[in-house]
Amino acid sequence: MQVFLQTVIGGVSLGAIYALVALGFSLVYRTMGLVNFAHGNVVTVGAYLASTFYLSTKLPFALAMVAAIVVTGVIGLVIERVLRPLENKDFDLMLIGTIGFGIVLDALIIMIWGATGRAVPSPVPAAPLQLLGLRIRTYDLVVLAIAAVATVLLVLFLQRTKRGAAMQAVAMDHEAATAVGIHVGRSNAIAFMIGAGLAALAGGLVGPLLYVSPALGGTLGIKGFAAAILGGFGNIPGAILGGIAIGILDAYTAGHFQGYSELVTFLVFTVVIMIRPTGIFGERTVNRA
Amino acid sequence: MSRLRAAAPISVLAAALVAVLATGCSAPGKDKGSSGDDTGPIKIALADAQSGQLSSLGAWELKGVKLAVQEWNSKGGINGRQIELGVFDTQADPTIGTTLARKIASEGYIAMLGTAESAVTVAMAPILKQEAIPNITSGQSPGLVAVGSEFLFLNGPTSTTYDETLAKYIVDSQGLKSIAMITNNGSYGKGEHDAFLKALGTRGVTPVADQVVTTDQKDFSAALTTIRQKNPKVIFLGAEEVESGLIVKQARDLGITAPFAGAAPQGTPVFLNTAGAKNVEGTIVSSPYLSNDVSDASKTFAAAYKTAYNEDAELHGAKAYDGAQIMLTALKNSNVAKGKDLAAAIRATKYKGLLGDFAYDQTGVGIFATSIGTIKGGKLTAAQS
Repeated sequence: MQVFLQTVIGGVSLGAIYALVALGFSLVYRTMGLVNFAHGNVVTVGAYLASTFYLSTKLPFALAMVAAIVVTGVIGLVIERVLRPLENKDFDLMLIGTIGFGIVLDALIIMIWGATGRAVPSPVPAAPLQLLGLRIRTYDLVVLAIAAVATVLLVLFLQRTKRGAAMQAVAMDHEAATAVGIHVGRSNAIAFMIGAGLAALAGGLVGPLLYVSPALGGTLGIKGFAAAILGGFGNIPGAILGGIAIGILDAYTAGHFQGYSELVTFLVFTVVIMIRPTGIFGERTVNRA
Repeated sequence: MSRLRAAAPISVLAAALVAVLATGCSAPGKDKGSSGDDTGPIKIALADAQSGQLSSLGAWELKGVKLAVQEWNSKGGINGRQIELGVFDTQADPTIGTTLARKIASEGYIAMLGTAESAVTVAMAPILKQEAIPNITSGQSPGLVAVGSEFLFLNGPTSTTYDETLAKYIVDSQGLKSIAMITNNGSYGKGEHDAFLKALGTRGVTPVADQVVTTDQKDFSAALTTIRQKNPKVIFLGAEEVESGLIVKQARDLGITAPFAGAAPQGTPVFLNTAGAKNVEGTIVSSPYLSNDVSDASKTFAAAYKTAYNEDAELHGAKAYDGAQIMLTALKNSNVAKGKDLAAAIRATKYKGLLGDFAYDQTGVGIFATSIGTIKGGKLTAAQS
């Protein structure tokens, strides 16, 4: 029982990171119908920026995170701006464009920071909390809290602000949205910017948990993508649930199937997707392609 | 990202096809092109991961090898010929490794150094054997010996030696019998797992826990909680630098206080930084190169390394330096021979290196001893036994 609960705790903290990555995927997808294949690499960029501001510039961790999110958000804007001319011509080209951007970002990371990577010390050095023989890292609680706040802010933005409502409208029907005077390009740009900001948030938060290297975004990207699909692609609460589910599933299979855990995780994932192709919350599929 | 990965094998396949067509023109095992002839620079290839998660290994190796080559070149090379070092990035991927092996052959390199990953070297070995290109690898898996290629040599001991020394220290000297194991299922981790289990077996010790993780895993709560319940006195760790560091960090967060024990990766700065200096205190390391102060040769090497790269030398750079020195000595002794003659010259080379005295046997292993060290105050120091 103790092993089971400790496994769940370990799974939830990485699950929160997967959820943030999945949110970024979903937000861009629901607005534009586009899968941003550069998203994993944007996570890596965010992780490097956050660690650079934190370790080299010696900013406090929170400030370093904010700076990383802003800079990465701008990178998101640049990606959208470059791809924008393709949107109404050929959607597949746009998809390939994101793959290209991923390769470019990967190369830039190695050029700027080198291929070796770096370790980031935990900004919350307090000892783990003890509870009925279980141990909970204080930093994990910080990660969960920040992920929860980010999600609430995102939902409030989408539902309560005019700009957010406009984005919802574009997500539902971009032609009708254009007809009532909503600037679709601007809406897409904001989706890309927030998506990149979320990626930076995930990357920055995961730095002290893992090791920041050019390969960081690869695994996070794939697991985050799986999380978005599992929750229902394009669905915001689905992305959160999918992320946590993938995190716990991953931790649980690691305990039971050891070397074959990855295989079992994705087998379970495949079976779930075969039974519910639209994911847990995905009744309303966006189809813009 | 998944799309990105999927695209790679196609380009690799295409490149492999081109390489096959290019090499197909000349008979295998024969001299290739004019570049391999008796004039012009001597071409030696270094294949290692220069990008990806294991690129720190590749970076250290490159530094060690470069130092040796520069040393020889500044002394006028071999027989008046300069040594030309070609660097190839394997990305620690066996598929890319096989492509590079063909490329190295077709471009007329007469010898190869690297790689640091046993799995990649094992994948490249059949091609290098067919092309008669001697290779001194930095891998240490017993699987390398199992390949049985007369062109494959190791620049250090195999896992069997590392883990036999470690088991001897832990079980025989320290009398610790409550041992847990956590290893990954990659080529290196699997080799460590089998070698250490065998060393324990001959001493009649059964590990209290034997946990296997994947090479990509990030959360080890399940495996570590299982280990914690068995309350072992020491935990054997068989994984590469970064993963080992993450395992130790998470183990300490889970309240595991037992020291870890392992081989080469646990003696590196990357392991120490990933886990945090406080968490690795007391780690038992089996290594043929404990520090830069063990001998006069290592002090000279460390000083040259520091001057060239402004960082402290460590095991992998030293190993690669030894391997390059052996290769260059063999080339000199054989008047720049190629193929089978060069392999024979390497086997005949007796070399006093940074890791110890090399004398190769038929299996391609040249050194059979490691020392035990423990990490104290963030530094690896020789253990008192």
